[in-house]
Amino acid sequence: MNLLALQTVTKRYTATDSPAVDKVSFDCEKGEIVALIGGSGSGKTTLLRIIAGLAIPDTGKVILEGNTLNSPTKFIPPEKRNCSLVFQDYALFPNKTVLQNITFGKGATDNPDRIIELMEMADIVGLGQRHPHEISGGQQQRVALVRALATSPALLLLDEPLSHLDPELRESVRNQLIMLFHETRTTALFVSHDIEDAMSMADRMVVLREGQTEQTGNPDELYRRPASRYVARLFGKTDFIPAELLQETVHSIPGKNDLGQVVPVRPYQWRIVDKDFTGIPVFHGTVKSVTNRAPHRELLLDTGQLQLTMYLPGNHVAKCGDTLSVIFDSEN
Amino acid sequence: MAEVLWHLTSPAENWEHMRDTVLGRYLKGSIILVLGTGTLSLLIGVSTAWLVACCEFPGRKIFEWLLILPLAIPTYIAAYAYFDLLDRLTPLLIWVRTNFSQDAMTWLNDMMLYPVTIVVLAAVLYPYVYLVARATFTQQSNQCMEAAHTLGHGPYSTFWRVALPMARPAIIGGVALVIMETLSDYGAVEHFNVPTFTTGIFRTWLSMGDLQGALRLAACLMALILLFLMLEKWLRFGAKFHKNSQADRPFQRYKLGQTKAGLAILCCMIPLVIGFLLPLSRLTYWASLTAGKTLDSTFWSLTLNSITVATISGLATVVIALFLAYSARYFDSQTVGATNRLAILGYAVPGAVIAIGILLVAEQLNSATNLILTNSLTALVLAYIVRFLAVAWQPIDSGMERNCTQLNNAAQSLGVTSLRSLFELNIPMLRNALVAGSLFVFVDTMKELPLTLILRPANFETLSTRTFDLAKQAQIPESSVPALCIILVSLVPVIWLNQQIRHSKQ
Repeated sequence: MNLLALQTVTKRYTATDSPAVDKVSFDCEKGEIVALIGGSGSGKTTLLRIIAGLAIPDTGKVILEGNTLNSPTKFIPPEKRNCSLVFQDYALFPNKTVLQNITFGKGATDNPDRIIELMEMADIVGLGQRHPHEISGGQQQRVALVRALATSPALLLLDEPLSHLDPELRESVRNQLIMLFHETRTTALFVSHDIEDAMSMADRMVVLREGQTEQTGNPDELYRRPASRYVARLFGKTDFIPAELLQETVHSIPGKNDLGQVVPVRPYQWRIVDKDFTGIPVFHGTVKSVTNRAPHRELLLDTGQLQLTMYLPGNHVAKCGDTLSVIFDSEN
Repeated sequence: MAEVLWHLTSPAENWEHMRDTVLGRYLKGSIILVLGTGTLSLLIGVSTAWLVACCEFPGRKIFEWLLILPLAIPTYIAAYAYFDLLDRLTPLLIWVRTNFSQDAMTWLNDMMLYPVTIVVLAAVLYPYVYLVARATFTQQSNQCMEAAHTLGHGPYSTFWRVALPMARPAIIGGVALVIMETLSDYGAVEHFNVPTFTTGIFRTWLSMGDLQGALRLAACLMALILLFLMLEKWLRFGAKFHKNSQADRPFQRYKLGQTKAGLAILCCMIPLVIGFLLPLSRLTYWASLTAGKTLDSTFWSLTLNSITVATISGLATVVIALFLAYSARYFDSQTVGATNRLAILGYAVPGAVIAIGILLVAEQLNSATNLILTNSLTALVLAYIVRFLAVAWQPIDSGMERNCTQLNNAAQSLGVTSLRSLFELNIPMLRNALVAGSLFVFVDTMKELPLTLILRPANFETLSTRTFDLAKQAQIPESSVPALCIILVSLVPVIWLNQQIRHSKQ
């Protein structure tokens, strides 16, 4: 049985605007880590708040452990739901010490051993008597996490868990989170706009766009077989090449304005070949620009018909005005 | 308030008569006062705020906080301090009568009445405009003003085309407060004998014993106030407050030359002297003459009365305001939100109107139960709560909005009950706002006059009613001792308010 199920959940903030969340349905299995991905305004945070009970949907159902939390006739208040939310800015209580924060939740004091265990895992044992403003951002983040886990929720919700951390810290906190989730066998649903965070942490991803589900699947699936141009672009620069120009039978998606099928091609999937290469379609073009984006150099190739973005191999020299020939190498 | 408005439609015997005779005079008096006081406060408030916020001249830092002090002087006490101002004009009036006519003298007397009252009212009410204008000039329009300079606009052009339009919504809000205070004033207009709605209400109720007539007048006054409130909303329409998060860098103030600096000092001195220094020194002088006579045991007992009533209403109001603000958030419902907005309207309602409304409710309750509520302390405290709820609600509500929304969400998400998060999170977090709220209500209650006059139990005197009674018996010097007590107490929140503003700037 699914731990969490959303059925056609819709939420409008104003009657006239398009809905913030539009008929979204997905499930979460026990022990799974699911990422909600989307740009700003895609409705991901609203969805999280609906599950936590801090926002009330207009229609649709939210079911947790077989209990209906939200339906047109029912609303369980947030404090009675068996899930806990970690806020983007942590929302630690500034008037309480770290330990008081952690033990504040319902049932948090029932099992003191678990609290100690959690604090050890999160590496915040020595901080119990300090106040939130006396500890670092990374520590605050872990305190917020432990505070949420201390209530032993069936489902942990996290709103942009890594967004306030600087890049160096991000990497280590990310690994710590994964470890913590696995050790505590937590089912977690987190919101992120960062594809890297989602890819590395999630077992499954739900991509939202303008309030609607764009695609659901595991990170590899989404990366290799994006269902739309939007999903393909989440993973960085992508060229969309009309399918008829490529001979190979590769994964293709609807093009702009539904004009024919296009194939998403990543910059490193272009391979430079000799001018007289034959066998598969070759694209000839002139170099429009070379930008240094260490560790690669990014090159814009104009074929007259298309603009191709590609990475230049380290040993290659190219400058504006040069002519190059490239092929699409899906195995790359 | 609804009670009062409802009576606009009910019949009253004297009404026809009153409408034909006095209503026009009350309306004219109130409107002249509002327009005059509003305009004058606007001029003083904005100009001093501009000087202090954007210009550099000797003494600027001192003026920055000195200019708030007139706020500590209630309008009626300011009027008593200038009690002889009109008398000084008597020789002039006599001269007019002997050389021209009786009519000319009456006309001149009327003409002198309004300017004097307006100057006295504006001299103590302008800080409402000054405070908001100063805040917006220093914090909000900072970057835009710098941008205007780089685009080639000088100080004058920048003031008229950038700073003033940007500060408009805030300034209109300040002027609205001045207008509300003017309309609800009773002591000053009574003293100068200006016909207004508040004096009308008192005359009809106390001298003629005509509650229905007083109600009608109260309803008219309410209608006028609603009109001004709508006007305020309309004037502020389309202009949002811009919060500039990067306004940390201080604005490079205009250095004034010697002549201009002298003028600036003069410009700041005039309102300060008229609104604070002169009244305070006169009162102090009189107090030193009469202290021996007035400081008897009755004086201490009425001081105790004032403090007791003010403490009770301060605490009760804060508890109710906290409850309202919290439940509006917790239940997130339309009804609770509407109750909140309705409840804080009390501050726009003049004390005399609230008093009449409470009288009416009390009388209905008297007949329904066996309790005698009319002229009881309960009714008095209840009226204070209605009148000053907004004063306590404002800091609590904004504090809760700013500091507690997310924390309450977090507490809910952790499965904590609403009552526990109220006591463990909201109350400790809002300690400052709660103290401020009760302090403000405490002081406002101490100062309050018209409502207290109508609703006080028999033989129950407070500092403000004592001041009023003595002044009414032409014992102005004797009234200075209780008046000074009120001013000293009122100074506390004024200084505290200034500290808060300064603190938030850093």
